[in-house]
Amino acid sequence: MTAPSLEREPSLRATSVSKSFGHVQALKDVSLEAYPGEVLALVGDNGAGKSTLVKVLAGVIRPDSGELAIGGERLTFHGPRDAHAAGIATVFQDLALVEVLDVATNMFLGRTPHRGPFVDKRGMYNRAADILVDLKIRVPSVRVPVGLLSGGQRQGVAIARPVLQGGTIFIMDEPTAALGVRETAQVLEIIAELRARGKAVIVISHDLEVVFEVADRVQVMRLGRRAGVRRTIDTDRSEIVSLITGTISADVAE
Amino acid sequence: MSPSDVNRRTTAAETRPLQREGDDTAASYQAVARAVTSNEALVGRVLRSPQTSLLIAILIFMGIVASKSPVFLTRLNLINIGRNGVFVFIIAVAATFVLVSGGLDLSVGSVFAVGSIASAYLLVHGANVVFAILGGVGLGIAAGLINGVVIVYWKIPPLITTLGMLYVCRGLVNVVTGGNQLAPLPNSFTNLGQGSLWGVPFLIYYGLIVGLIGHIVLEYTPLGYNVRAIGGNRMAARASGIKVDAITISLYVLSGALAAFAGLLMSARLSSGQPSVGDALELQVISAVIIGGTSLFGGIGSIKGTLLGAAMLAILANGLVLMSVNPLWQNVIVGTVLVLAVGLDRLRRTRMWRTDG
Repeated sequence: MTAPSLEREPSLRATSVSKSFGHVQALKDVSLEAYPGEVLALVGDNGAGKSTLVKVLAGVIRPDSGELAIGGERLTFHGPRDAHAAGIATVFQDLALVEVLDVATNMFLGRTPHRGPFVDKRGMYNRAADILVDLKIRVPSVRVPVGLLSGGQRQGVAIARPVLQGGTIFIMDEPTAALGVRETAQVLEIIAELRARGKAVIVISHDLEVVFEVADRVQVMRLGRRAGVRRTIDTDRSEIVSLITGTISADVAE
Repeated sequence: MSPSDVNRRTTAAETRPLQREGDDTAASYQAVARAVTSNEALVGRVLRSPQTSLLIAILIFMGIVASKSPVFLTRLNLINIGRNGVFVFIIAVAATFVLVSGGLDLSVGSVFAVGSIASAYLLVHGANVVFAILGGVGLGIAAGLINGVVIVYWKIPPLITTLGMLYVCRGLVNVVTGGNQLAPLPNSFTNLGQGSLWGVPFLIYYGLIVGLIGHIVLEYTPLGYNVRAIGGNRMAARASGIKVDAITISLYVLSGALAAFAGLLMSARLSSGQPSVGDALELQVISAVIIGGTSLFGGIGSIKGTLLGAAMLAILANGLVLMSVNPLWQNVIVGTVLVLAVGLDRLRRTRMWRTDG
């Protein structure tokens, strides 16, 4: 069941990752595969190890054991910069946007394009607008301060930023939390757009409705282990819930 | 549009819609854009740009003074206003950067005195002019460096750190001088503060140069953008790889350097080092910056605004004297203007961001 149906090299492969904090083992031999052009949902109860796993993938936490490979190449992350350089983009819940700055400036935060000593404003606004249109992210204008945008629009800007910076693997922590119905739909559209562009997307979500709507596969975490991986077309909510709560025993550990 | 222009309300013409025609959600985005513009009508044009309203206030005040005093608009008096205001302006350029980055430097008045006294002290003891200038500015840089390092690495709030530096520097000035003035100073030095070119004092050129460079850096360079990002959201700036600590420290260094530079210009202008110079100058500097529309909360501000703020203070001081208003009233008026300006800033922010500052 854990074997992906497609014989492809995953964009991101984590193999037998373990991590302990003191004598609490947060991750036990967890593996994960994210494929280009596919959305993988990571679900599980609080404390199941989702966040720790994502932090390992983002280079924030170094695992005690296990391997990471990107595009088939084994890598060791010494920090978030390494993960970023490898094309992993993490869109965290707090979004890390600057409200008083406009959309384009936020998208280029810390990487303001310049010609000689001066900011290339025209290039910046044009490129930002191109990317937003391309991803079908709708904001009133690239010149509107982010503080004036709705939650869904902000999420869109936060997602567009790593696209601009050439990210290939997107990790999103609860991208639809605290969003209304319409805004959620909007963010899911953006995620679908990333998939259509061949990006590998990993979405952490508590909302199974969202999971079944957007994900191709679901990886269930339970008590620091991978309880199972299912293709969404082969499973249903009750099976996933059972895996999360443990009423269905986990797949045989690989 | 430069980042400072977020002060300006987004107008309908600017909101080039990115959404496709006939999109079901398009209406809601139009609504967002409309909400912004109707807010504009609600709050009124006065609030649209703090700089515009400030300029209008200055012009009205100038009109009143001019009608009562024939001296006011003479070339000599206008130059006089510029010469008086330039000290506050030079320091306020640096203070604008510090405030936009979300910081605060209260020590500039005392560091001003350090620059003034250090250069005079060196000259009185026979140092040459170049060395005296370097010594004065160097001590200002040192004070700024200490401020920055303490704020960044000891995590002591800027208010406390620079308040401490205010006391330390003023104390050192009094210890070194014993409260006595330092004089005489050589003509080659005093000429820096008293000479003029094409009928305009050198002092005004220094202010223009510092202001122009500050404006260009803040509005048009990646550094200026990064300073705004730091003031707007320090965590986000750090997460985006902006060198937050290094930039923060350099801004306090810039603040110390320009304060000390302005101080030594004051020695040159007065032909002596006076231990009491720059007393409470920090309040004028911060007032000029805030009146000019820079937000105390970081992220928003401009050198243009600061120029107007400093001009406002200098014109107010001059105009009240010419209208024979008791000079003791000046502080009352400046204080009122300051609170009104901050009140407008707060109103603008709450209208714009729907947050409480």
